[in-house]
Amino acid sequence: MSARAVLLSAHALAVDRGRRRVLSDVSVELLAGEALAVVGPNAAGKSTLVRALAGLLEPVAGELRLCGRPLADWPSDARARVLALATSEEEGPDALSVGERVALGRYPHRGPFQPLDETDHAAVARALEQTGIAPLAERRLGTLSAGERQLATLARGLAQEPRVLLLDEPAAHLDIGHQLQLFRTLDDVRRSGVGVLAVVHDLARAAQWADRMLLVADGRVTAEGAPGDVLCSEAAERAFGVRIRSHALPSLAHPHYSFEELS
Amino acid sequence: MTSGRSRLVIPALAGALVLALLLATAAGSVPLPFPGVVGALLERLGLPGDASALGATGETILFTVRLPRVLLAALVGGGLAVVGAVLQAVFRNPLADSGLLGVGAGAALGAVLAVHLGLASAVFFALPLAAFAGALGAVLAVYFIAGTSGRASLHGLLLTGIAVSALAGALTSVLLVATEEFRVKTVLFWLAGGLDGRGWTHVQAAALFVLSGVALLVLLGRPIDVLSLGEQEAASLGLPVRATRLSLLGLAALVAGASTAVAGSVPFVGLMAPHALRPVVGPLSRRLLPAAFLGGATLVVLADLGTRTLSARFELPLGALTACVGAPYFLLALRANEGRG
Repeated sequence: MSARAVLLSAHALAVDRGRRRVLSDVSVELLAGEALAVVGPNAAGKSTLVRALAGLLEPVAGELRLCGRPLADWPSDARARVLALATSEEEGPDALSVGERVALGRYPHRGPFQPLDETDHAAVARALEQTGIAPLAERRLGTLSAGERQLATLARGLAQEPRVLLLDEPAAHLDIGHQLQLFRTLDDVRRSGVGVLAVVHDLARAAQWADRMLLVADGRVTAEGAPGDVLCSEAAERAFGVRIRSHALPSLAHPHYSFEELS
Repeated sequence: MTSGRSRLVIPALAGALVLALLLATAAGSVPLPFPGVVGALLERLGLPGDASALGATGETILFTVRLPRVLLAALVGGGLAVVGAVLQAVFRNPLADSGLLGVGAGAALGAVLAVHLGLASAVFFALPLAAFAGALGAVLAVYFIAGTSGRASLHGLLLTGIAVSALAGALTSVLLVATEEFRVKTVLFWLAGGLDGRGWTHVQAAALFVLSGVALLVLLGRPIDVLSLGEQEAASLGLPVRATRLSLLGLAALVAGASTAVAGSVPFVGLMAPHALRPVVGPLSRRLLPAAFLGGATLVVLADLGTRTLSARFELPLGALTACVGAPYFLLALRANEGRG
């Protein structure tokens, strides 16, 4: 990992939701072309971290920078041209077609009044192609499965043509075939230089995909580094209440992980 | 990405509206000959046309009674339908309408107050003005009460709207009881909704607010669409969510307030027209809003025609007629909505 540019950074970040402190003293950096997985138990603050990094939550302390410039100083449309967020909560209205939904990802580039031009249509077509949902472009969102809707949300994010892509549980409703396709898409995306940060629930899948892993527990970063090291750390054992072992199998490209409850 | 067939929808709706307008100007307690109506209208527009088939009385009826009434019906119906479509996108609920914001209840309170104080009979146009003020007052109250609880969430807005409407309704009842009996009937007629006796002044006032409001809302189509994706996604796409929502609700309140002020309560139009057209033209506002305007206008023009012609003995209240059609439609839509979810 030589001198790649830092796209997004948080330093000593603290975020409240209501009166509750959800994140404290969190520092993280996302580099260009990097795949960073955020893992952690439920209610650890992962989703809050992603939304704060996207500039949607006001931190109470700490510093956020996007491409070297304080995140809060970015005009919202300029920020949305550089940074895209896709979460499993976002579904869009039932009557909207997939193509129309993805095209709304061009809003930060065209604003309220300018009509979409050739570059916009090309970006939309590329995003549909990359996520494998081009055949669904004319379908209404209400007629799709949860997984297909989620791919449409991701395609909207890709249509923004961002340099930073933040994802919250992008594989939440996907079957195994769609999961593999999704992570292959994310690999293509980061190979083109985009920094991808994703909250991933499936630890083995996260380890397989990511260059680097961040463990968030109880609102703090308790481990960070190579996926195998993070998963087999004491911090992971404490966070999940589970013993995690890695097994290198000669027949497999990636290590296999086993999980046992702590007695 | 729109198919050729759905491109024809808007011209077809416009054609239907023109036909409905002509039909509604010709029909009534004194039927006017259709060719005469068309001829007189063409002549007024400076086009080659002949009004002689109408006669002097016919021409008076056409231009001082029928035409303003029918045009007002179109403005009210179109305005309410556009407001419905916008609120359904903003609240992300296909069954939302202007009642949610307290428009109807606020307008009723304003109207009753004007009647109670005797202003309505003393000052020309006092009733619609008071109703308009009441509608805007209610919407402002809803927005700012919901806003003080933090960040004016959709949920907070809905619940505040219900509470403010209930309060305005209670005050309306109290005022009605305290109002002299001979004045109560004026209010009751207004509350039931109707266009009887409305003239060009009403048309001008309604046109000013409805047409400019609708034009601005159509212009803001793309921000409406982005907002319909939900608060978080809209914000992540760089849309200033609160400012956009406040301006959309403000414009919706102006249009719905002006419509309610001149026509009283005309329920369910804002629900039926967008709901029926969304599957045909899709949910994107640049197409849905114009379609909803034309559809809603046609609906109310025909409904108003019904109030004048269905009963030979008296005129039916317009609001009652749209409710009789709209309530069953609403229930069916609700069932279809649940069946899918």
